[in-house]
Amino acid sequence: MHGVKRVQYSQAALEAKKQRDHDKLKAYLALSDDVIARKKSHDMSNEAFELTTRLLRMNPEFYTVWNYRRDMFIESLFPQRSPSEVNELLSDDLSLTFELLKQHPKVYGIWNHRRWCLEHIPDGPSPDDVNGYRNSTWNKELFVVEKMLDADARNFHAWNYRRYILATMPFPPPPKSELAYTTRKIEANFSNFSAWHQRSKVLTTLWETGELDRVKSIEEEFELVRNAMYTDPDDQSVWIYHAWLIGNGNYAARLQFEITSIQELLDEQPDSKWCMESLVRYKRLLIEKHAENLGDKKALVDSCLELLAKLRDIDPPRRRRYDEIAEGIRSGNEMQ
Amino acid sequence: MSGSELPKLARVAHAGHCNRCLSALPSSHIQIDASRLAIGFYCFGTLDLLGSIYEKTKEIEREGWREWLWHQQTNRPYGTDPEEYSEYDTPHLIMTYTAILSLAILRDDFEQLDRNGIVRFLQACQREDGSFTSFPNGGESDLRQVYCAFAISSMLDDWSGVDVDRAVSFIQQCSSHEGGYGQQPTGEALGGTTYCALASLYLAPSVSDLHAPNPHVTTDERRRTIRWLLQNQASSGGFSGRTNKDADACYCFWCGASLHILGVGDLVDRTAFLSYLASCQFKFGGIGKAPEDRPDPYHTYLSLAALALFPLEDADPSWKLPRLNALWNTTEDTADWIRQHVPLYTVKAQSPVRK
Repeated sequence: MHGVKRVQYSQAALEAKKQRDHDKLKAYLALSDDVIARKKSHDMSNEAFELTTRLLRMNPEFYTVWNYRRDMFIESLFPQRSPSEVNELLSDDLSLTFELLKQHPKVYGIWNHRRWCLEHIPDGPSPDDVNGYRNSTWNKELFVVEKMLDADARNFHAWNYRRYILATMPFPPPPKSELAYTTRKIEANFSNFSAWHQRSKVLTTLWETGELDRVKSIEEEFELVRNAMYTDPDDQSVWIYHAWLIGNGNYAARLQFEITSIQELLDEQPDSKWCMESLVRYKRLLIEKHAENLGDKKALVDSCLELLAKLRDIDPPRRRRYDEIAEGIRSGNEMQ
Repeated sequence: MSGSELPKLARVAHAGHCNRCLSALPSSHIQIDASRLAIGFYCFGTLDLLGSIYEKTKEIEREGWREWLWHQQTNRPYGTDPEEYSEYDTPHLIMTYTAILSLAILRDDFEQLDRNGIVRFLQACQREDGSFTSFPNGGESDLRQVYCAFAISSMLDDWSGVDVDRAVSFIQQCSSHEGGYGQQPTGEALGGTTYCALASLYLAPSVSDLHAPNPHVTTDERRRTIRWLLQNQASSGGFSGRTNKDADACYCFWCGASLHILGVGDLVDRTAFLSYLASCQFKFGGIGKAPEDRPDPYHTYLSLAALALFPLEDADPSWKLPRLNALWNTTEDTADWIRQHVPLYTVKAQSPVRK
């Protein structure tokens, strides 16, 4: 339903369209009835299999038919076939689903069927090389998902699938190469929040395994995000990533440094909502977490209130929110 | 712009749109054929919100719809062996949820409800990690199915089909650093799944009060979720579903209802909100995702549900809608009907509802 455009038609064209619609529906319903009847009678023939292919091309969201197709694989197509033949069948279905995904990139049933295919690849091609089929097919998956993300860099199905591939494939590429992938995506478009998000996940892994030194890495990330901020201060993605880097704000020196840096940007871009919002956020963190070390708490409080007053003006949808925050600061309550 | 300057809600036209969709859909909609029960729910829900169920439909039609809905109830034993399903349609978690709501809207007495079967079905759908698949042994699993399982259990007032602790643990893992909840752990926050997460956590049996702090939501999660949700309201008044995406009418519900559940509905700019949804009305009836877009029952229903949660005092009376139960996503009147007829034991009847 999302993404159906309106089109205008002339009278004659409208009649023709009506007829086409009618014929298409008739064909679909007849095919659907046929396939369902066969499923009911447990028809596991090749003919039935071909019919499910036709039906799924018309309606890839028909999850019942994907189930039926998988049943046929397990019950009739796989048994009595060599691993090489099974692998071939699964490759065909991977091709089919790739073709369908290009037209229907957000249909759960298609992505789901792909996973099922991958998980059923047989051992082979030989006893010395039991993972050959798997390696070759799984390695291609990254290529497939990259194509999908080239077409729509925000497709969350594709990003979730990408994470699934990296977590499950027999010989995944090193996390650093995934980090490089996110760098490419971010540099192509700073607004691509999905890429920033993936980056946060990959970095967390690299820090946990010790592959990257956390302190040094965070320094570099702050540089990267500062660059993005200055290039496009209106981009929400950048600020959310920055907030992730700040984390719980336990490191006072970093908070102070970033506040100064953002203030400099605000001086150049006096109407930047995100600068103001972030300054309030980080100053509140200072007040909340580092009160005992603060020289002039009152100055910080006043500064927040001043920023919130400006935010009310330039960001009207969130007026009530800013009022509520100001109230909280005035009464000295914990951040809501 | 004040509420009184807004265009009217075209109630008759929207009811007409959904009524037409209940009769038939064109071939361009082939792909929602497998989700008929969901489409049915959006249509019935729209009519319910507009108070038009009895005005715009005949009893014989309603009887037909109820019969159609009951025809979708499967009655095979629910186990782990897929061969046991010889009905053409395996039971589906999301469709089960929409079916119960639809039957309640149509004021069915639920005598035919296979409560034990549904509980066994829920058990068969829950995975090790606490999430639920759409059907036993297959289908994707994410927060949508968790929500449906929780909503169904809550409506049945029977939680024996759900391992609540494991499910809650899964939900919490879906919490994103942005605020909000992703579809799966590691996913970016989405408006729809944020609603599913919060509604589930507030439906959970240990939580009795929408206004008290929820034991399953940390202060930090609550704070950043509120922040993320509020930032999703665009200057047009509509909500987007994700960071850096465009506004879409359906997210007015998913994000708006989330804020309502968290008790901060007052922070939403209601005039802008209403103004956006007003502009999404299609001139021949129905509401689309954005101004000038084609309408559909999904966006029509969710827009009205969102409007029911955020009434505007000085708006034209055409905008007046009944109170909505944000956790089940239905009118309070329908919610009352559910409470009286869906559980096996209700407060009114001391013995089971079934004879």
